[in-house]
Amino acid sequence: MMLGKAAWNLAWWAVAIGLGFAGYAIFFIAPRELTMGSIQRIFYFHAATGISAYLCFFLSFLASIGYLASRQPRWDWMAVSTAEVGLAFDTVVLITGPIWAKPVWGTWWVWDARLTLAFIVELLYIAYLLLRRLSTEMDRRGMISAVFGIFAFLDVPLAYFSVRWWRTEHPGPVIAGGPNSGLDPRMWHVFAFTWLALLALMILMIRDRYRLEAMRQTVSEWKAEEELGVEMAEGKEVTQ
Amino acid sequence: MRNFWSILSAYLAAWAIFFVYSATVGRRLTRLEEELRRLKSRTGRDE
Amino acid sequence: MSLVRSASTVLAKELRIELRTHDLTNTIFFFVLMIAGLFSFAFSPTAAESRRILPGLVWMAFFFAGTLMLQLCFVREQTNDTLAALRLAPIDPFAILLGKILANFAFLAATEIIFVPIFSVFYNVSVGEVIGRLLLVLFLGTFGLAVVGTVFSAMAAQARMRELLLPLLLLPVLAPVLIAGVEATGELLAAGHSVGQMWVSMLAGFDVIFTTATWLLSGYLVEE
Repeated sequence: MMLGKAAWNLAWWAVAIGLGFAGYAIFFIAPRELTMGSIQRIFYFHAATGISAYLCFFLSFLASIGYLASRQPRWDWMAVSTAEVGLAFDTVVLITGPIWAKPVWGTWWVWDARLTLAFIVELLYIAYLLLRRLSTEMDRRGMISAVFGIFAFLDVPLAYFSVRWWRTEHPGPVIAGGPNSGLDPRMWHVFAFTWLALLALMILMIRDRYRLEAMRQTVSEWKAEEELGVEMAEGKEVTQ
Repeated sequence: MRNFWSILSAYLAAWAIFFVYSATVGRRLTRLEEELRRLKSRTGRDE
Repeated sequence: MSLVRSASTVLAKELRIELRTHDLTNTIFFFVLMIAGLFSFAFSPTAAESRRILPGLVWMAFFFAGTLMLQLCFVREQTNDTLAALRLAPIDPFAILLGKILANFAFLAATEIIFVPIFSVFYNVSVGEVIGRLLLVLFLGTFGLAVVGTVFSAMAAQARMRELLLPLLLLPVLAPVLIAGVEATGELLAAGHSVGQMWVSMLAGFDVIFTTATWLLSGYLVEE
């Protein structure tokens, strides 16, 4: 740990304040969107959370490759931390999406391309966590889940194209679309600020989850040592 | 503001999820820290 | 030994076991037959409706049959304790997986050849003119199922509740295959008789990507 506990607490507070300010900006600074009206305000954190979620899954993919290449447990911890935090972010996307869709499309859930993709990705990473939880061979668990993590991430672009060709009703990506699709500068600022605050939150969450995984490892090692010590004290023959 | 409640509920739902998730991670961390302390005292480590 | 030779040795072994017992093929034949009946009872479709639901039904039936079958692929090795011997064999680990993938593909493809006419009769949809293209689409999707399914079967073999775990791992990853397969089959059964290149290339792309990934990662999967 490079920073002291106090510094990390401070970071949490800073992120909380940043997110509060982002909320203020979303409701009071960002201009009203013309066609969709105020409901468009959901976009700022819905899209920012979505991008962050995919970023998490991408990091998890990289960490899985890192683990296979190096066999260092810390890559495995990183892979599971990013996957779990990504799942939390994706859940937010899946909940805010329908709340936005109800007034705009008239129904809670539409099998629209991006919503469907978020749903498939959610299933993929729930499967990843289940595989980890149900694995019994602890020494091979890291490797097996790394392979699954790689397969899951390779599936994301395929799922993206298949659902996009299948159907799409989602508003196109306005940020990098055609010449007339840009955001108003003020909208841009609000969006960028919200996204930065969410990224900071994401990093803090990943760090905590990573510490948890590292500590689990230490606890299980110490427990094993303790059991070994007890057995030796009892004069049993210790194998291994 | 039209749809104000929709926006607000979406906003709050997002924070609720983040908060609950962080809280569960925090709780699991505290529990492990306690266990670590217990193991430390029992095995007499000086780490 | 070259990859092809060692993979075909594994394939031959799988086929020999199956020809002796007929466990897998009997089970999935019965399973698909049952699904074909049950869906009809559940939806009692009219002629127009069956044309619409048949593609989805065929794919779901084969997906579930495949998932059931793939459970056994590595579990059988485990109960007989033969996996260690396979791992120790001086062959490319990819050859072991490839042999099993081809065997699973062969069992499923055989089921499809038999059941496409049966579905066509049960649901009164004529497939005569498009049978070749239909089987091509089915085989492309089934190969993807066999590749990913065999790999995941190897992963799940060591886990608790593996019978439940395998479908949970497999079906989300297969979502693109299901969408592409159902759409392509639907286009074939509709009046046009032509199949969109887009969906076929999606199925082929899935096969290529995951076969390559399996080849690259096979060393980690099969190692002791």
